[in-house]
Amino acid sequence: MRSTFVPQIAALLGLLFLWEAVVLAFNVPAHVMPTASAVLQDIGTGAALIGRGVARTLLETLLGFAIGAMVGFAFGAAFAWSRALERVLFPLFILSQAIPVIAFGALVVMWLGNGIWSKVAIAAYLTAFPVTVNTCRGMRSVDPQRVALLRSFGAGDWRVFWSLQVPFALPSIMAALKLGISLGLIGAIVGEWFGDTVGLGILLLQAMYMENMPRLWAVILVCGVIGIALYALMEAIERRWVWWRPEL
Amino acid sequence: MMAGGAMPGRTIPQPVEAVPETAPPIVELANVSKTFGQGRQEVSALEHIRLAIGRGEFVTVVGPSGCGKSTLFNILAGLTEADPGASIRYGGQPRAAKELLGKVAFMPQRDLLLPWRRVVDNAILPLQVEGMSRAEALKRAAPMFPEFGLAGFEKHYPHQLSGGMRQRVALMRTFLFERDLTLLDEPFGALDALTRSLMQRWLLEVWQRHQRTILFITHDVDEAIFLGDRVVVMTARPGRIKLVLDVKLPRPRDAEIVTSPEFIQIKRQVLAAIEEESLKSFQQATGG
Ligand SMILES: Nc1ncnc2c1ncn2[C@@H]1O[C@H](COP(=O)(O)OP(=O)(O)O)[C@@H](O)[C@H]1O
Ligand SMILES: [Mg+2]
Repeated sequence: MRSTFVPQIAALLGLLFLWEAVVLAFNVPAHVMPTASAVLQDIGTGAALIGRGVARTLLETLLGFAIGAMVGFAFGAAFAWSRALERVLFPLFILSQAIPVIAFGALVVMWLGNGIWSKVAIAAYLTAFPVTVNTCRGMRSVDPQRVALLRSFGAGDWRVFWSLQVPFALPSIMAALKLGISLGLIGAIVGEWFGDTVGLGILLLQAMYMENMPRLWAVILVCGVIGIALYALMEAIERRWVWWRPEL
Repeated sequence: MMAGGAMPGRTIPQPVEAVPETAPPIVELANVSKTFGQGRQEVSALEHIRLAIGRGEFVTVVGPSGCGKSTLFNILAGLTEADPGASIRYGGQPRAAKELLGKVAFMPQRDLLLPWRRVVDNAILPLQVEGMSRAEALKRAAPMFPEFGLAGFEKHYPHQLSGGMRQRVALMRTFLFERDLTLLDEPFGALDALTRSLMQRWLLEVWQRHQRTILFITHDVDEAIFLGDRVVVMTARPGRIKLVLDVKLPRPRDAEIVTSPEFIQIKRQVLAAIEEESLKSFQQATGG
């Protein structure tokens, strides 16, 4: 498994090298595009600051993701269980998703304050939607013959839910979680723009105001690395625990 | 007209409701019908089924596909309600179909193993549903693996097994669910002829050792006669019981028995009954 990352790392190094070469060769001014080496150097000098930002944003992302995943699972399961509930509530879900999350940002800050919870809420809000949809769809597609088999063993609704519907829906839930964790990161960063003092989103704003190009790119790079790492984490979880595909 | 009536000296077909006199029947069906759909789409799958099965019997049901065999099993397993007017007695008590849920060991036509559970966890699923702890269920299942030809495969996942092995896991799951009646729906239908004949003899051994009452569906006449104490022949749709034959072949039965005169005689009767039916439905279809 380790060896599969080698080509990715090689590609990344190649890209950095190309970046450096292009900026130098075309003599691009530093306020337009800094060299890769300048950016890496900035990561080195700002390590403490960036490290604190990473820790904070990661915490917001993971908390928001966890809450959003649980809320999404609960709603998805409820919708799968009751069509009536789905008909009443699901349009509200769609509506809420049609409004860009930015529009809610100020509101969330006023409700939950400037601390970590307003960011967690936005991250959770973005994660919850795909998880709801895929949980519901996955549970609906459960094989009726297997449900019948469990019933013939005398299984009740609760047993059918945990022993059959949940595992059956897990591959589809997993796909939503992979999307959800990326959305959670976006939610956390955007949430920070509504006011805070630490976090990657804050570092982005500060770099923008100070026209600190190397720092801006340093934070972009770090965001990218975190995004990839979180996605890889979900992939690893999937490979280890959710490897099956429903057989019909 | 029953085919055997025209052939004196052969095993005389028993009346449809025939039950061994020695023991009270485990299950008794009378007037069981099932209609699917409504209006123009109405399909009559079963009509006036009357059948009784005694304790320890091995009864086989044979009939063309689509004649309602699986529907009959779904009713016996409690998964489908029969049309109003049906009488189902199980263990002497009259029952609505859904009261049979959890009371009959049912093996559907497909193995329906859960891909995320290991072989052993698939096998003990019904015990866990009953509320038994995993540890205890594993203890109960352990000695059955060699018997079912699955020793060493306990930790495998279903997708790593051959079709025959998957079927044995499903059978083991059914046998672990100890109930008065065991329903097996074409368990060997998807197996090649050689594996199938091995599995048949093996199943008879298991049946005798575990002393279960088995109702077994097949569309293979040889299989029905080879396995059964009685063979129930069903007609094409709507499924009705055409004929019930006692199979008085000695047990244990070995592979050669299929060439014995007694076997061939019973087979001739079954085939004649099926042929008569097919001819009838063919004539209906062609308007002749
Ligand atoms: N749930 C259902 N809804 C409508 N028709 C059904 C249903 N189940 C079975 N049937 C019909 O009833 C008939 C008997 O089916 P089945 O019991 O599966 O036959 P067999 O097992 O003998 O092949 C078939 O014509 C089938 O199309
Ligand atoms: Mg069938």
